[in-house]
Amino acid sequence: MNKLNKYSSYWIKFLENKRNKYSLFIFSFIFILSLFAEVISNDKPLVMNIDDKLYFPILMTYSDKHFGGYFDTEADYKDDFMTRKLEMKNNWAVFPFNPHSYNSINLNNSKPNPAPPSKYNYLGTDDRGRDVLARLIYGFRLSVLFAFALTAIGILIGLFFGALQGYYAGKIDLYLQRFIEIWGSMPELYLLIIFSSLFEPNIFLLIVLLSLFGWMSLSDYVRAEFLKGRNMEYVIAARTLGLSNTEIIIKHILPNSMVSVITFLPFRISGAILILTSLDFLGLGVPPDTPSLGELLAQGKDNIEAWWLSISTFLVLTGTLLLLIFIGEGIRESLDARS
Amino acid sequence: MKILEIKNLSLKSKKNNILLLQNINLILNKGEILGIVGESGSGKTLMGLCITKLIDPNIFEIISGEIIYDGKNLLECPEDYLRNIRTSMVSMIFQEPMLSLNPVQTIQTQLHEVIKLHITRNEKEIDTLSEEIITKTGLADIKKILSSYPHMLSGGQRQRIMIAIALVCKPEVLIADEPTTALDVTLQLQILDLLKDFKNKNNMSMILVSHDLDLIKNYSDHIIILNNGQVVEEGITRDIFERPTNEYTKKLISSRPDNMISSEAGNVKILETKDLSCRFALNNAFFSKNKKYFTALSNINIHINSAETIGIVGESGSGKTTLAMAIMQLLDYKGNILFDNQDFSKLSEKDIRKHRDDFQIVFQDPFSSLSPRLNILEILSEGLLAFNKNITNEKLVNICSSLLTEVGLNHDMLSRYPHQFSGGQRQRIAIARALSMKPKLIIFDEPTSALDAIVQKNILELIVSLQEKYSLSYCFISHDLKVIKSISHRIYVIKDSKIIETNSTKNILCNPKSDYTRSLIKSSFLS
Repeated sequence: MNKLNKYSSYWIKFLENKRNKYSLFIFSFIFILSLFAEVISNDKPLVMNIDDKLYFPILMTYSDKHFGGYFDTEADYKDDFMTRKLEMKNNWAVFPFNPHSYNSINLNNSKPNPAPPSKYNYLGTDDRGRDVLARLIYGFRLSVLFAFALTAIGILIGLFFGALQGYYAGKIDLYLQRFIEIWGSMPELYLLIIFSSLFEPNIFLLIVLLSLFGWMSLSDYVRAEFLKGRNMEYVIAARTLGLSNTEIIIKHILPNSMVSVITFLPFRISGAILILTSLDFLGLGVPPDTPSLGELLAQGKDNIEAWWLSISTFLVLTGTLLLLIFIGEGIRESLDARS
Repeated sequence: MKILEIKNLSLKSKKNNILLLQNINLILNKGEILGIVGESGSGKTLMGLCITKLIDPNIFEIISGEIIYDGKNLLECPEDYLRNIRTSMVSMIFQEPMLSLNPVQTIQTQLHEVIKLHITRNEKEIDTLSEEIITKTGLADIKKILSSYPHMLSGGQRQRIMIAIALVCKPEVLIADEPTTALDVTLQLQILDLLKDFKNKNNMSMILVSHDLDLIKNYSDHIIILNNGQVVEEGITRDIFERPTNEYTKKLISSRPDNMISSEAGNVKILETKDLSCRFALNNAFFSKNKKYFTALSNINIHINSAETIGIVGESGSGKTTLAMAIMQLLDYKGNILFDNQDFSKLSEKDIRKHRDDFQIVFQDPFSSLSPRLNILEILSEGLLAFNKNITNEKLVNICSSLLTEVGLNHDMLSRYPHQFSGGQRQRIAIARALSMKPKLIIFDEPTSALDAIVQKNILELIVSLQEKYSLSYCFISHDLKVIKSISHRIYVIKDSKIIETNSTKNILCNPKSDYTRSLIKSSFLS
């Protein structure tokens, strides 16, 4: 019960600051919303009624033949055939709020691509005629999920090596530290360039490559906390009580060294978002048809007159990073025992 | 003749409006030493800082009172005037000589700075003045001292430098705030004698702040006893020590540990060390072959009988704690440690873990020996769970609450966290944790050094009563001979990693063999 009290007191302290509260709520709201991107922004109707039969294209794949067409491929609900069909009596369809998916191309656009915002494309289209709003929503979701994954993996590896070095110290520490020095001086960017030309670039390869290097900045802090912690008298006392090393690490030192991990957490997440964006901007990141903020920024650079590309992406990116930094500072302040 | 007077001084903390000093009145006469005694948190340091207005105005607020020096109320004087007065007229010495000296400047720079500010800018005069004052503090090899940095000097030397800096302007008043607490006992007397000598030669007045009653008794003319920011008793030193009137003063004076042991020691050897040695590598270089070592213990032979307390007394750095760690099997050593006739030096770490319930340790600092994130139940049940994973929760609560009662705490405190307890209570919890394993031997590593005098006595009484009840063996480590002699059957004197003398407590005190033991006894005011 006491433990619960302690955590709820951190929580209350965090919410006392209005900036923390709103940042967290806005971010969680947008993030949770983006998890349902398929329902918000899609070129398939949510539900439709054709010839007195209900269809749920968003859940199931119907072929063109299903509706009396000629192809075995999935129906394109935006082409003339389907549009005409939907316009018939008693037939109706409910489209999502933004009736475009991240890679659906608006072929009916009257203006050349990239087209400025219109009532069909709320934030305009990019240079291939894809809807910018849809790409932003999907791109945001991918960025944040990617950042969560990268951060989680980085923290796990960092904690493991930091704990190993700090707790056992001596020889293990010495050799691992030398390994980190060598490993850390490898040119990460060149490796990424080389690997992206060797393999088909995809998001998992990126996570693996970035994780190989990302843990080092954290393990240093964890190591320092463990070096400090292993000589605390309560840790020595635990040893004299006959606890095993694993028990001591998990029960005594880890909780006391989590502060650095938690403090860096939001900054690591925003850093990861930035890394993905930069790599995509350079064309080293995810494959071209994947929705990504970096790719949109690159398009904005190439089409400088298409202001809707760069400004909207810029706002999404800055807003996300700003919210994460605010949350991070809030967490740091509420965990600080001195205040 | 009055030289400094404090009238009705009250001070509060701005943060939570707590009164830290209440209506303090004191008079310091020319040429006398005024002792201020009190426990930690009684406001004695704050009072010293108030005199030259060195308190942080963002944290503290002076509510009322006057501090009169040289016909002026210092509390109303402008900062310029005060800056001039500090050091040149009213000087201060602090407890920690390492923290009071700037680590990146030589002694010469720091000493000259003061002289330049307050006395003269003539280079030659500065040199003669600084050499003169260093000579007076009893330091040899002045040139070398002056050109060295603080870390190159020992604690005693540093404190002498601090004294030189404080006294170079020949102040009228010196405020010495625990000037010897951070130093080894044998150095204490030297430093205090030096200060007294200075005082007599220059007709200076001195305020000596300390928690050490014996020290105050031997050096001060008048004393003031502070408790919770209030003066509870004041007067001529000898009168107060002979006829204390206030309850608190009586308690304080009687808190000096007397002989407490009543039980006889057994004659079965519980623990024996044979040629125990221990060394640490100094240069931990990666490729270097000829490593240098620091010898922390050399050929230590001690033994502990059942139901016996041995005291190990020595200065900081003498190897006392290393000895405790070696006995606890927490570091690598050479030689043999026999526990119940079983040679631990031959066992693996895993096998030793099975025997850990037989010997336990209680540390010096009760604030760092309890994990801040565990509650008392978790702390006490940790060892029990390590030896018996299947123990039921109900049984654990029962055992732990009876342990708390055993050490004089309320058994309903199990769900609290360490920070909710005072230092003395925490030390009781640490003792309860050691007891939870039902050990045969408990090592106490300076268990009372971080505690106030009255609390210290209570803890010692608890320790002794537990020994009588369970016939435990104790190994009691301390730098304080007064504590050691009050509870030990036998004493080992350790110096420079060697045992230099051992005998029964009575014999050591009555006819010490080595000079070092004699100086220890003298500086503990036991002779």
